[in-house]
Amino acid sequence: MEKEQETKIKITDVKMSDSSFKTELDGDKLYFIRLNLSERVQHLIFVICFIVLVITGFMTKISKDMLGFLGGAGNIVFYYRSLLHRTAGVIMILTSLYHIYYLIFKPAGRRLLFDMMPRVKDITDMISNIRYYLGLEDSPPEFDRFSYKHKLEYGALFAGTTLMSVTGVLMWTEQDWSKFLIDISTLIHGMEAILACLAIMVWHLYEVHLRPHKFPIDHMWLTGVIDEEEMKEEYPIHYKKIMNDPELQKIYTEVRVLTDQGLKKIGFVK
Amino acid sequence: MLSSVFFYSIILALICSIFFVGIGFAQSVASPDEENCLFCHRYPQMGRYDETGKKRVFYINEKMFANSVHGHLKCTSCHVGLDTIPHTNIEKVDCSTKCHIVEPSTNKEFSHVNMIEKYEASVHGKMKNGKIKPHAEDLPTCKYCHANRMYNPFRTIWGKSEALSRETLTRCMGCHTQEQWAKRFYSHFTHRMRRRRSQAEIIALCTSCHEDRKKMARHGLETIETYKDTFHFTQVKYGVENAPDCIDCHVPVNYSTHYIRPKTDPTSPVYITNRVMTCSNQGGLKTCHPGAHAEFASGRVHAYGIKAKIAARDKKIKMPSQAENLVAERAQQEIENKEIFHYQVLKIIRLFYQMLIAVVVGSMVIHQMLDYIRTKKRHH
Repeated sequence: MEKEQETKIKITDVKMSDSSFKTELDGDKLYFIRLNLSERVQHLIFVICFIVLVITGFMTKISKDMLGFLGGAGNIVFYYRSLLHRTAGVIMILTSLYHIYYLIFKPAGRRLLFDMMPRVKDITDMISNIRYYLGLEDSPPEFDRFSYKHKLEYGALFAGTTLMSVTGVLMWTEQDWSKFLIDISTLIHGMEAILACLAIMVWHLYEVHLRPHKFPIDHMWLTGVIDEEEMKEEYPIHYKKIMNDPELQKIYTEVRVLTDQGLKKIGFVK
Repeated sequence: MLSSVFFYSIILALICSIFFVGIGFAQSVASPDEENCLFCHRYPQMGRYDETGKKRVFYINEKMFANSVHGHLKCTSCHVGLDTIPHTNIEKVDCSTKCHIVEPSTNKEFSHVNMIEKYEASVHGKMKNGKIKPHAEDLPTCKYCHANRMYNPFRTIWGKSEALSRETLTRCMGCHTQEQWAKRFYSHFTHRMRRRRSQAEIIALCTSCHEDRKKMARHGLETIETYKDTFHFTQVKYGVENAPDCIDCHVPVNYSTHYIRPKTDPTSPVYITNRVMTCSNQGGLKTCHPGAHAEFASGRVHAYGIKAKIAARDKKIKMPSQAENLVAERAQQEIENKEIFHYQVLKIIRLFYQMLIAVVVGSMVIHQMLDYIRTKKRHH
């Protein structure tokens, strides 16, 4: 157990949580793993690629008048724009392919896929959650490891990445296809980009940045863990499952020493 | 910080360029004014309002004129007549006039008539089958596109190219000792070696007519703003080297740029059988889409415009004015059924996505707002 503690990074949640979640500053504490290292790395690569792709992609849509300031540098800017867009696209596709491999061949990936599968409960959850928002119910529904929000987003990401990859590769190899197919690809690539961008901004960035108790940022994407309070609050069914099953406890829980040092290192806590 | 340094250096470069270009002009010597036209025309205020109320400026800047492509001509070479003062017997300048300059390759009198002949045979020429085309007044004449352009400044802001110019000129002047002549010859030559207009300038020139909906409708044409939806234009926007502008695809290879033909003409590079060559390898000049095959090249480059819209709708469409009826009529002839199908597929995809974006993002916004309000309420 001690050896394990040493290898794990040290974290705190004091600064980023609401006062109601504040706990004592020292001593060991139980944490629940939401994302393992592989998943966090996959996510980080995706974030970087997505931002690069969005910027370099929408650069083609800037109006001519706004590009006047580039002057003679436009040629070189456009060259690097194209290069970056393709590079980021290739990295994203490779990451997606690795993710599919991960889903099929790794136990953690198989668990993720199984937990991510849509179920009837998701529809009833969504209805009762919206009823809760509207004040028709007193408490929100109890979620398992992934709520309907996560499942919708994951599904959209899966479909979106597939579409963008296929249309992107088609456009890259345009002279091998009919112009009609390229026209369709161009249209879908552009429209899907708008959809993906808006969806990420409204759905995902709200969830991890603007949501009360998450503002300004939910550190889980770097640390991979949440504390017991948050786990009970947000994913009660999964929490109960873990607490009743020693096997799951081995997978999803860990005890970490509560200290600022871990996050100080990556510059999140002053 | 870095970007502001970049910005200031650009401003500095601009100021320097204006300064040095000025020096470049000041250095060359103006040709002597044999007819003494500048006796009056050197005054900047010289001009009048003509009968239509248009302001006409008759001022000639001697130095600028001397640096122009026509700088060594006499005024009366182009402005024929003009032997009375005030000038009552004025005639419009005709570029096919022989201007008493000897063309060195044939030793005959020079005129632009060769170009004009090619131009008259092009889609922009006024005559068709020996008859004047309807609405011929819309068609551009020489002066619509060409001004008395100045030579590129001999001295540029780029030190390297200036040294190069000097070195070359020194070599020329080893035999051709008259500096004025050597400079002019050098300028004439290098002027022809470079692109005179950037791609963006070409597009601005062509669209000055081809985006005028009424003017185009008179000739049964659709406007070409759909070109601006293409990736070709995206490259032009950024000033990418060799980005394709109008001329690249519409002027036949090895022809003068004046010879633009309609797409139904077999010599046109956008004629269906010439497309593969146009897209893949323009006579060895440019290789844009090296592996292009017929399937790729036969597609539509400009996005679908008003004609496809008309053709895809009801066959019996009635449009308000007679001119627009002409567009509709030509749309029925030109747009094939295959293209109508393509247009409709693209339209459906676009509509589907517009609805999807509105519904998905709209409901996401509502969902997250409700979440925010409820979570806030609960914890306070």
